[in-house]
Amino acid sequence: MIALESVSKRFGSKTIVHDLTFDVKQGEIVGFLGPNGAGKTTTMRMIAGFTAASSGRVTVAGYDMATHNEQAARKIGYQPEHPPLYDTLNVSQYLRFVARAKGVPRSQFRSELDRVAIACRLQEVLDREIYKLSKGYRQRVGLAQALLGRPEVLLLDEPTAGLDPGQIQETREVIRSFGERHAVLLSTHILPEATLICQRVAIINQGRLLAIDSPSGLQRASEQTNRVTLIATAPPEALRAELLSIAGVIAVAINQAAGSARTLNVECQTDARDGVEAAIARSVSGRWDLHRLERLQPTLENVFLRYVSQVPSEAVQ
Amino acid sequence: MNGVLAVYRKELLSYFRSPIAYFVLAVFLLGTGYFFTYNMFLSGSASMTETFRNMGILLLTVSPLMSMRLFAAEYSGRTMELLATLPLAPWEIVLGKFLGAVTILLLMTAGTLIDLVPLYLFGNPQTTTIVAGYTGFVLLGMAFLAVGQLFSALTNNQIVAALITVPVLLSFWFVGYLQSFQSSYALRGLFGYLSFALHFADFVQGLIRSEGVIFFLIVSAIALTLNAGYLQWRR
Repeated sequence: MIALESVSKRFGSKTIVHDLTFDVKQGEIVGFLGPNGAGKTTTMRMIAGFTAASSGRVTVAGYDMATHNEQAARKIGYQPEHPPLYDTLNVSQYLRFVARAKGVPRSQFRSELDRVAIACRLQEVLDREIYKLSKGYRQRVGLAQALLGRPEVLLLDEPTAGLDPGQIQETREVIRSFGERHAVLLSTHILPEATLICQRVAIINQGRLLAIDSPSGLQRASEQTNRVTLIATAPPEALRAELLSIAGVIAVAINQAAGSARTLNVECQTDARDGVEAAIARSVSGRWDLHRLERLQPTLENVFLRYVSQVPSEAVQ
Repeated sequence: MNGVLAVYRKELLSYFRSPIAYFVLAVFLLGTGYFFTYNMFLSGSASMTETFRNMGILLLTVSPLMSMRLFAAEYSGRTMELLATLPLAPWEIVLGKFLGAVTILLLMTAGTLIDLVPLYLFGNPQTTTIVAGYTGFVLLGMAFLAVGQLFSALTNNQIVAALITVPVLLSFWFVGYLQSFQSSYALRGLFGYLSFALHFADFVQGLIRSEGVIFFLIVSAIALTLNAGYLQWRR
């Protein structure tokens, strides 16, 4: 439903988005993950048709955004990063305006308004002026506006920013239920959010796509090197030599544990083969006291940080 | 056309939910009432001619207040991102907003009709002259608003939009005075043709000339077309 083919965006001599290629299929929720200033919002705006790509092709629902953005706009629901609200209108006037502009037939106004108001829990504030709303409500009016007219493609730029935990939960439910039938691209810098509701996650930093895969796929990919930590009482040098002699152990870092001169905190980098922990456990406990041994599961957070921190060195090359 | 209607209704709602429309209406009606009373008692004639002249200048000062927010407020309120990504063509946005502003103009104009009550009650005014004057006034206002709307689209600051619009409108108003300094027949004709004041003067005298009607409509059309073109280019 959404396809980007080597899309770039330049402002003057500055390139904000670099040769981005990815797609979002129908019935899929894709998370768009990156630190602030990574180019997420610019990419969202290009897909929404607010700004044109400098080069490359953006296609939404089969329409090329460069030439058919008005036809494509009928298929898109877009929630910008800052909710685009008219402060002087009340919520229902605002939603009616958007529904009218989206070409929702008059006869369906009532039911459409009710549907999005219920989905975004806005029933009690429909008659309230927008400038009186709290940040959480403003954010949800912004989401409601995007949902009007049942667009096939939903673009949500940090939809849970400014919401309290309960509201975040509800908003995620709305997005999840919407994603069953539609294509959703969701930008966020909250990692658990991406893991929870997205089928795939695209990691972007400094305008470049670093990886796109399912959350578990990304985790697996980073399991090429694992980390095993252990706490043992042993002479440091002998322990290091012993560990390095085990097949699969790549590097060893030893630190004195706090509070005891003879207890050591050890971190081993190992390769992906099975049974490395067992081998470490066997050989250490055979000679010294092994208090604890743990294999660190890479969280998506680690994965993300690894990808994001890679960029500067790549850029230098 | 649905898009035009959507934007139009939104504009009207926004006008009447902000103090600006009421302020502009009040200032304009107070000013017009003042000039009307003054002219009535000073000239002692049952005519609107002088009052129309004053209304033209008064409109020149208040119309930038009506047009300044049209786009500048959309930019600064970050709502342009919504407007530009809704299935609306640039011309629909431009026309919807323009018609919204023109509606306020018509309300202002309607408000001055009360001046006609004493005129007809105690005198015998020329109805055709008054109709011509009102026609010219509305056409002049449309041109003012279209130009103001164009400048509002060029900046995200409402004050800046108004500050640019006023001198531009003043130049168009007074450009006719340059005629006196020109020996070239063509330049005299050009300055005369560009003058808002000279065209408006015809209407005030009671003449609805197609030249004047077409002039104000063309000025509006050019400004609105540039406005839509700019929105398209801005992407």
